Amino acid sequence: MAKIAVTGIGVVAPSGIGKRQFWANIKFGRPFIKEITRFDASRYPSHIAGQIDDLDKYTHVSERLLKKIDVFSHMALIASEMALQDSGIDIKKEDPNLIGIFLGNAIGGWLYAETELRDLYIEGREGVSPYMASAWFPAAPQGQVSIYYGIKGFSKTVVADRASSLMAIGYACKVLSKNKLNMILSGGMEAPVTPYSLLCCNTYGGLSEDNNHPQSAYRPFDKKRSGFVIAEGSGVMVLENIPRAKERGADIRAVISGYGTTCDGVDRIDPDSKGEELSRAIKMALADAQANINEIGYISLDGLALDIWDNSEIQALKNVFGSRLKDIPLSCPKSAFGNLLGASGAIDAIITILAMENSLLPPTLNLDEPAIKGLDYVIKEARPKEIDKALVISRGRGGINAVLVVEKGDRK
Amino acid sequence: METKQKIVDTLVNLLKVKPQELKEGVTLQESIGVDSTEMVEVVIAMGKSFGIKIDTKEITKLSTPEDIVKTVESKLNSK
Repeated sequence: MAKIAVTGIGVVAPSGIGKRQFWANIKFGRPFIKEITRFDASRYPSHIAGQIDDLDKYTHVSERLLKKIDVFSHMALIASEMALQDSGIDIKKEDPNLIGIFLGNAIGGWLYAETELRDLYIEGREGVSPYMASAWFPAAPQGQVSIYYGIKGFSKTVVADRASSLMAIGYACKVLSKNKLNMILSGGMEAPVTPYSLLCCNTYGGLSEDNNHPQSAYRPFDKKRSGFVIAEGSGVMVLENIPRAKERGADIRAVISGYGTTCDGVDRIDPDSKGEELSRAIKMALADAQANINEIGYISLDGLALDIWDNSEIQALKNVFGSRLKDIPLSCPKSAFGNLLGASGAIDAIITILAMENSLLPPTLNLDEPAIKGLDYVIKEARPKEIDKALVISRGRGGINAVLVVEKGDRK
Repeated sequence: METKQKIVDTLVNLLKVKPQELKEGVTLQESIGVDSTEMVEVVIAMGKSFGIKIDTKEITKLSTPEDIVKTVESKLNSK
């Protein structure tokens, strides 16, 4: 795969909207998981989340559009606008046929869907908003962002559980590699803090029920881990081929140089306990990037905080890196704000890029006593370190594995 | 006149536009960029506002504010 430039970043997350605020909170390891207040969630076994309350303060879209879309599209629109502004691209001057959009989502827009389904059962079909048809489904944000900017090039939405957005970025890079588009907006969005989504996540059985201690509930790789905590938000980046980015004098924030993806194919929910297919995805990504294991200076972990997931992730890394693994800093900063499910990979990739830019590795909150010892976890506080190449791992239910190799950019 | 004003008010509230953006003789698509789903919403809103039933198949006939006034008045007269 050709090396692809990341020239813009947009982030909407419980830890902050906009990369500056977001990074400030990530690097200090500030916790943002709280009791859900959007609706009465007290009867759910897990009723804590990374919830965004001030989205409207950051909006640039009309009230007329807002009533037609679910909040996950709204988040994607804000993150896309921020990414474009960050890239310095005036999209009106671009050829719309040569712009693509690749986003990832796992569960769709349930806040809108639930409201309309309630109306359907109470008022009958005439009570349902005509926008329901276009608001709820996972590809809706791709459509809304495309319409907003007039994007007309080859585009896709990837639905692959929590691996969705990292896969979307991987595919976007592959498409740009073929030189058929000039630029792609890529990332993901998720809005699971709704009654039905929360129910589904609870039914899945992977959520932490430590409701009395929301800030310390999500404990990836810790001995006392008890599952993950959901969160909402969106992460979008502007991707371009390096020659074009250089020609227009863009600030190249990072370079994506490798992508690998595999499926475990052993269980409907759980991954392969030996992590063999995740190992293969890591090796694919490294080979794609023409990188060797000695060049990787940081690994962003998926970290679901469930025994089989965390243990198989570490096992997969051991399979690939062998004894060198103990020398590579590992972190899972999402424990501070929650797991954005289908958008989690994009957010992890953005954190990794910001870590490289700032030469500062973000801490894994709540990793007090590692379940597997002898590894170099970044805990308690951020650690200064220059990184040239990093791995980002994202995994979905049933063992969907996605891995990116990210390299330091060429900042102006 | 009353019907026309009520229709304008409904459109303004529903589509979050200013009354002066709705121009006589100009289709809603041209003046305020109404899309097909918004037209469905307009039809439902007019039905509720005037207590009439407009079939969604009639949407294609409702392109300007005057078209809506004509259709609504004709439905009201045949009630």
